[in-house]
Amino acid sequence: MIREETIQKFREIVGPDACLSSVEDLINYSYDSSVDEAMPDVVLLPQGTEQVSAIMKVANEEGIPVTPRGAGTNLSGGTVPMKGGIVLVLTRMNRLIKLSKEDRYAIVEAGHINLDLQNRVKAEGLFYPPDPASWSVSTLGGNVGENAGGPRGVKYGVTRDWLLGLKVVLADGRIIQAGGITAKNVTGIDLISLFTGSEGCLGIVTEVTVKLLPLPPFQQSIQAFFPQLDGASRTVARIIGSGIVPVALELMDKVVVNMIEDSAHIGLPRDVEGTLLIMVDGEEATCRKQVEVMEKICRDEGSSDIQVAQSAEEEDKLWLGRRSAFGVMSRKRPTCVLEDVTVPVSNLPAMIKGTVEIGKKYNLTIGVMAHAGDGNTHPMIVTDKRDREEWKRVEKAVSEIFHLAVDLGGTLSGEHGIGLSKKPFIPLIMNDDARRLMVEIKSVLDPKGILNPGKFIE
Amino acid sequence: MEQKKPVLSDATGEHVYHCAKCGLCLNACPVYRETLVESHSPRGKVQLAKHIIEGDLDITKHMSDILFSSCLLCGSCVAACPSGVRQDALFSGLRWRAAERYGLGFTKKLFFQVLSRGWLMSTSAWFGKWVRKIFGGPWIENRMKVGNLPVAGVPPMNAKPFNDEFPEIVRPDGAVNARVLYFHGCATNYVFGDVGRAVVSVLTRMGVEVEIPKNQSCCGLPIFLSGDRKTSLTCIREVVHAFSRKDVDAVIVDCATCGSALRNEYVHILKELRDLGEGVDDDLVAAAEHLAGITKNVSEFIDAHRDWLPPFPPYTGEKIRVTYHDPCHLVKGQNVGAQPRRLLKLLPTVEFVEMAEADRCCGGGGEYQIEYGDMSARITNRKVENVRKTDAEFVATGCPGCNITIGAHVAKDHVKAIHTVQLIRNALDGKGPGE
Repeated sequence: MIREETIQKFREIVGPDACLSSVEDLINYSYDSSVDEAMPDVVLLPQGTEQVSAIMKVANEEGIPVTPRGAGTNLSGGTVPMKGGIVLVLTRMNRLIKLSKEDRYAIVEAGHINLDLQNRVKAEGLFYPPDPASWSVSTLGGNVGENAGGPRGVKYGVTRDWLLGLKVVLADGRIIQAGGITAKNVTGIDLISLFTGSEGCLGIVTEVTVKLLPLPPFQQSIQAFFPQLDGASRTVARIIGSGIVPVALELMDKVVVNMIEDSAHIGLPRDVEGTLLIMVDGEEATCRKQVEVMEKICRDEGSSDIQVAQSAEEEDKLWLGRRSAFGVMSRKRPTCVLEDVTVPVSNLPAMIKGTVEIGKKYNLTIGVMAHAGDGNTHPMIVTDKRDREEWKRVEKAVSEIFHLAVDLGGTLSGEHGIGLSKKPFIPLIMNDDARRLMVEIKSVLDPKGILNPGKFIE
Repeated sequence: MEQKKPVLSDATGEHVYHCAKCGLCLNACPVYRETLVESHSPRGKVQLAKHIIEGDLDITKHMSDILFSSCLLCGSCVAACPSGVRQDALFSGLRWRAAERYGLGFTKKLFFQVLSRGWLMSTSAWFGKWVRKIFGGPWIENRMKVGNLPVAGVPPMNAKPFNDEFPEIVRPDGAVNARVLYFHGCATNYVFGDVGRAVVSVLTRMGVEVEIPKNQSCCGLPIFLSGDRKTSLTCIREVVHAFSRKDVDAVIVDCATCGSALRNEYVHILKELRDLGEGVDDDLVAAAEHLAGITKNVSEFIDAHRDWLPPFPPYTGEKIRVTYHDPCHLVKGQNVGAQPRRLLKLLPTVEFVEMAEADRCCGGGGEYQIEYGDMSARITNRKVENVRKTDAEFVATGCPGCNITIGAHVAKDHVKAIHTVQLIRNALDGKGPGE
């Protein structure tokens, strides 16, 4: 519990409208898109770095836990306030501070919505690549906190690859600037990387400077259907091996395709075992040539049907289905456990095969989806948490999936972060000394342990 | 021990468990986009509904305020939800329980009693007109704003109710292609009489026999969306009784909201009341299901039978620029969006131009704009800005509510809101949109 005098201090900092403590508001900030929930004591919606700094000074003095949060769409429990305290919501800090066409960068406040930035820079002929499925609502600050990826990751990488600078409020309220606005910058330790993906455990990111690309002149998407899932995953490895770098290369199995079709009615065939959705961009002639090569590989691997999108609307439709996949899975059963284990792309066929077998072994419905081009698989276990017996099987299956990924040279998370759900599995991938180093780094930045406590750095 | 009454039927309540909390509804919600607070978002309210259904959260006064003030029941979240959650069913159900507990407020109560009784409605409409004549005049109205609604821009009442203008059955000249019932709703009857005239004119010219039943009730939607299900049930029974007929090809509705009531809401509400033992039987549900199946929006019906339209007379005047606003209850509730656009593009009198965010709520939400003027204004401003950017002279739409809200706010820019069917009628008459 936080004392009323302290809450009064917060109220004075952010204003009465931005200091929420009704039971309804507390419930509404007890969850994100993951499964776990925990109640905060107070919710603050600051406006501006100065307010964040003032809040942190008070919280640090009094040892109150602070969990920063954007739109709350992360899938790992990164914004669930496990130890109560403050949920610090940055959605109202959503200004575009600067957009430089000349130097191709943008500075936004942490609460700026990813898709708003995408649309804004597109109007200037520029391009911001990271495109998490939640882009219509997720914030840049949240994207940094989780080091979010997205389908375009195959060619363009994840959020970190597009950061030039961060403004960060430290646990005690001090404000630092990491990086700047230049394309190159090796001045000092790479603090941007330190904070990116730290899930709010090391500091509060309040401003984000991203680099931008010229908008690619052309893009084209194709969709290929396979009677065997194996053929689809072999195609992925072959396309990447051929030297083509697609923007996105998505794989979906029958379960996922059927669920998407139930929701979106976009005419996906319901009886094929594997579907690939591939996008290339660049000069038109190059794209068309790449599409030809990919079509041939698909046919060689037994694709029964290949469709090339003919218009921008058709492209949007193809990708909209993919973006909604996580929510779609909840149509049949209430709970969807979505993991994001990532393996070297050459081991993708083995990872997918193994995932399907684990599903069979534990008699669970597992939909297999993958940002296949970068080996990032998204097994989705469709279940009902209210069924305790089944939930036990889910936990066992998840554990086996993690072990399999590590055995195949992979890692626990490609883009969703560790949060709560993957915390117990970190020892599979990091030795004691590496984990201790993380704890030591945190203790320097956050000696009182108030920043997003209960998460992966412990 | 007293058995606790369930808050919602099991079928409705189960929806809370299918929310994956993915958050894709947040951006779709016009209120969340303004306040950026989770309790104003559909996801937030679904999670609160879950706690209420499970019994660990009471419907507090604050909760009741959230349900009414932060939701236009526009259905944008339903359309955006990949998991198929019916947020509208959850929220309107909870509003019902909230209204049971906290009452409706005197004005709402009176308003709904009037709406649910045809004769009262016609009397009060006359009364309203009389008041306007005696006390009104532009000098007072120009300064008046009710909530977010500038009164000067609101159209006056019909000189006489639309229903009195026509015989019960209007036959086309020549062959009969189809027979339909016309549910004109309160707005056409009392305010937008010309929309009704246009519907009858276009349909009869298409060879459609139009039956306009006398003593039509309110569809009941504004009443049950405010939580007064008991009063709305009177309306629903009357409408189902009068319009669920097997001897007609369709029931035509010109109002987006009435249409979504007849098509989507009746069956859901009646089933829920039946499951909760509130005196609804299977026969009424079956009749409502039949009605839902034959109800068609007027633009949808005309578009489906475009080949019945007579040729448009040649038009030599200058084409007038027209844009189109998607009413939430039409595009999200009934998936009617392409049809009116297709029709507008057919018209020789019209240069059609698409506005940005055409399917975003106008902020009206019926009564919402009066009760929650500030929030409504923020949403409306965005719409008005998008209209302005098109340089259109007319905003076509298919909802009297949107027509009033948008019309009242764009009047100062000399832009007019108009029903799609009025533009079609004018073009068939060889007249420009505004003639």
